[in-house]
Amino acid sequence: MSAVATSVLSRRGFLRSETLVPVVLILVVGVLVIAPLVKIVLSTLTVEGLDAWQAVLASKMSENLWWRPLWNTVLLGIGVAAGCVLMGGFLAWLVVLTDVPAPKTLGLLATLPFMIPSFAAALAWGALFRNSRLGGSVGFFEANGYIVPDWLAWGLLPTLIVLIAHYYSLAFTVISAALSSVGADLVEAAQVAGAKRSRIFFGIILPVVTPALVAAASLTFAGAVSNFAAPALLGLPVRMQTLSTRLFGMIETGQTERGFVIALLLIIVSASFLWLGERLVAGRKSYVTVTGKGGRTKRFPLGKWRWPLFCVAVLMCALTTFLPAVILTASSFALQNGSLFSNWTTHFWIGEGGTDMAQGQAGIFRNPVLIEALWMTLKLAVTVAFTTMALGLALAHTIARNKGSVLATVLGQVSFTPILIPSIAFAAAYIALFGAPIGPLPSLYGTFLLLVLAASAHLLPYAVQSGRSVLGQISADIEESARLTGAGFFRRMGAIIMPLAIRGLLAGALLVFVKIVRDLSLVVLLFTSTSPVLSMLAYRYAAEGFMQFANAITMVILVLCVVATLLAHRLQNRVQKWKSA
Amino acid sequence: MTSQHGTSVPAIAIRNVTKRFGNFTAVDNVDISVPQGSFLVLVGPSGCGKSTLLRMLAGLETPSEGEFAFMGRTVSDGTRGLVADAGARDAGLVFQSYALWPHMTVAGNIEWPLKVAKWSKADRTARADEVLGLLGISALKERYPAEISGGQQQRVAIARTIGPKPSILLFDEPLSNLDAKLRIEMRSELMRIHRATGATSVYVTHDQVEAMTMASHVAVLNNGRVEQFGVPLDLLENPRTTFVATFLGTPPANLIEVTRSGDGLVYDGLRLADARRAETQDGVQLLYPAHGLMVGDVPGRPAITARFEEAAPIAGRTMVTAFSGGKRLTAMADGYFRAASGDTIRLSFLGEPSAVFAMTGERID
Repeated sequence: MSAVATSVLSRRGFLRSETLVPVVLILVVGVLVIAPLVKIVLSTLTVEGLDAWQAVLASKMSENLWWRPLWNTVLLGIGVAAGCVLMGGFLAWLVVLTDVPAPKTLGLLATLPFMIPSFAAALAWGALFRNSRLGGSVGFFEANGYIVPDWLAWGLLPTLIVLIAHYYSLAFTVISAALSSVGADLVEAAQVAGAKRSRIFFGIILPVVTPALVAAASLTFAGAVSNFAAPALLGLPVRMQTLSTRLFGMIETGQTERGFVIALLLIIVSASFLWLGERLVAGRKSYVTVTGKGGRTKRFPLGKWRWPLFCVAVLMCALTTFLPAVILTASSFALQNGSLFSNWTTHFWIGEGGTDMAQGQAGIFRNPVLIEALWMTLKLAVTVAFTTMALGLALAHTIARNKGSVLATVLGQVSFTPILIPSIAFAAAYIALFGAPIGPLPSLYGTFLLLVLAASAHLLPYAVQSGRSVLGQISADIEESARLTGAGFFRRMGAIIMPLAIRGLLAGALLVFVKIVRDLSLVVLLFTSTSPVLSMLAYRYAAEGFMQFANAITMVILVLCVVATLLAHRLQNRVQKWKSA
Repeated sequence: MTSQHGTSVPAIAIRNVTKRFGNFTAVDNVDISVPQGSFLVLVGPSGCGKSTLLRMLAGLETPSEGEFAFMGRTVSDGTRGLVADAGARDAGLVFQSYALWPHMTVAGNIEWPLKVAKWSKADRTARADEVLGLLGISALKERYPAEISGGQQQRVAIARTIGPKPSILLFDEPLSNLDAKLRIEMRSELMRIHRATGATSVYVTHDQVEAMTMASHVAVLNNGRVEQFGVPLDLLENPRTTFVATFLGTPPANLIEVTRSGDGLVYDGLRLADARRAETQDGVQLLYPAHGLMVGDVPGRPAITARFEEAAPIAGRTMVTAFSGGKRLTAMADGYFRAASGDTIRLSFLGEPSAVFAMTGERID
């Protein structure tokens, strides 16, 4: 009997690999997420670090280093959160709960602004409203004889508008998912009970989506306070500092410890607002399904408001997506912003160097630095897309299979930690850890590997979330029935899991690709001339006043992002043959 | 191995199996075995551990203690923490959800397990055609699971499971997603397939009618334990606990709580049985099948008053539900009986109680 037993019963090795995988994953997320954070905290506890704490928080400089940036940051955060919830909420209501024309197209349009870089809108704003305060070429309005006041050209207001134009589509995504989960029967039950429309809205729909509204507010707040591009392009020239531009400035000028201190403070500000949002809705049952798999939803007739509201929605989307794109395109062809649509030249795109145009610089497609940056960006985005999706899938799978264990809880919490950390502060933590050699390992600063590591860690929460939603579509039964046939792990993955998951994975990977291509705040600190990326190049050109080059490069990024987004959208929504019934 | 062979070796032996999830004991010291060709039904209310037991048989879960042996070959051993791979057990499982692979056609679903088992292309096609024919679904060959009805999906799931000719077939509540009419049809279909394949089947259900009609052996589970194991009629006629007595049988049997009074067992002042049947107990429960309780007075038989609740016609007679002393009773009436809800009716005890149970639920007599 025992001889048979040992020959048949051979799964001890598998048991060991089942415990091995989680341990390896713990190590990976530990190095990616926890180690940089621990290191940046430790770096501020040295003698220089403690001096930096004092300089930032309790010295004559703290007004400039901490309080004013904090005030600007919080003001921007609150303003952006409020504006985004209003705008995104309005569009979500229109698209999900009313009989507005072409809801699907509107829904797609409303998600686009988040897919293009936030500095696209900032640059477009400059092309229109830039005034003569700083010298150099002025924007369209001032060149045509209008006086543009400083408050409209620079500082808080333009930054606020540009950030709302970028982040409202994040709010839209979150709120519309929640609204789609408000089933028609819920609304109809209220109607049968005799409730009027306003009563239904305030009594049923609003309470159900409140957690989503709070979530949208805290996410957009966190996005706004960690954004670097918009305040840097529109605020820095007039010395409006936010915590993220301060952090950048400190590290750029070699005051590393002060930079680290500001990074930690920025993390605290952002995380405490996210935590506050969480507290506000804690204890309530969460009704939000982020995948938005609602059943039938009830659409209210808009009556005579149907077309006017449709026009308002289209205008919102056009102003935030198409107008910036058109202005940037025109500006990249125009000799000066005053005449955006005449005297076009292709010089800034493909012109030869050594002429008297653009101080002798060649067009971007003749510039070897740009070509290198383009390839570097694509390489980075593709690498990160694959590493994060693989890691996300492995993490989601491990967390789901070990559900309830301490291991799964730890893994889940660690992999969602980066959501609390503004990307620019995260980059600072990476500099703290990898900026100097660790034992025998060389410094990673300025290497491609560092960019990959930081970006993968930053996108980990997103990757785990998409891994979860992909796995959620494949029931455990399906895999088990394959296991019963005797198919091994790799065979099951290859023949059953992958064919069912591949579209979801590719769509997730494409969105990671977009997030990397359009990112500035993560790479702005990690960038060096040996690892140039497009967004950083655009920022450099803009900072040096070569707006046409900056705009042209931004258009390249924008096109890459939009194409990838539409592709992902198509992949997610295309009907699969076996689902046609 | 010993020299045991032939029918003396049980096809499935479950030996002292326990399964714990943390502090919760899902399956508690189950010990049953059945010979080759039998149809074992595991029946019990939800959460009784029957599905966990089935998943351990399939090799999807490891027992915490005890062992499983198929045809004398140990396939799982909880004490040593060993489990033969789910695929290496010569067992097939039909899932409650069917678990058809949505991206493969009907034929693809049936052929893939054969491909894993390294059958030749010709053999695979031939076998797929054979089982498709056996289930009467040859016409659906090229369709995808999403394009066929629930009943058809069920047939595909069965065809896929019997494809590799497993010697043990496992069914996890396979009929629970079908409508009433289709369920009865598939019940006979399953019996036919069980006979045609000659396999030993284990079938999990919460439906006692399925258990009674299909099983050669029934194990009634409650709270992870086997309340009673045996052939269906034996369980029906000789229930060992009140749980088995009330769980099995249609319509449900009645339990009447009585107390000793003199030499009789008395309910509401009415003598129902001889006190000797209660042995030494003062209070016991008497079991009367529904057909042992008749609506209306019967001369010479004890009768009680009850409040009418509802009536359902069954095969020319009427099953009547009524309340007495806060307890639900089921009685029969000849022909079609009608009354208004809340009406007072009389119920007569036609014969002696078929069994006597202690108040704790164990059988006394």
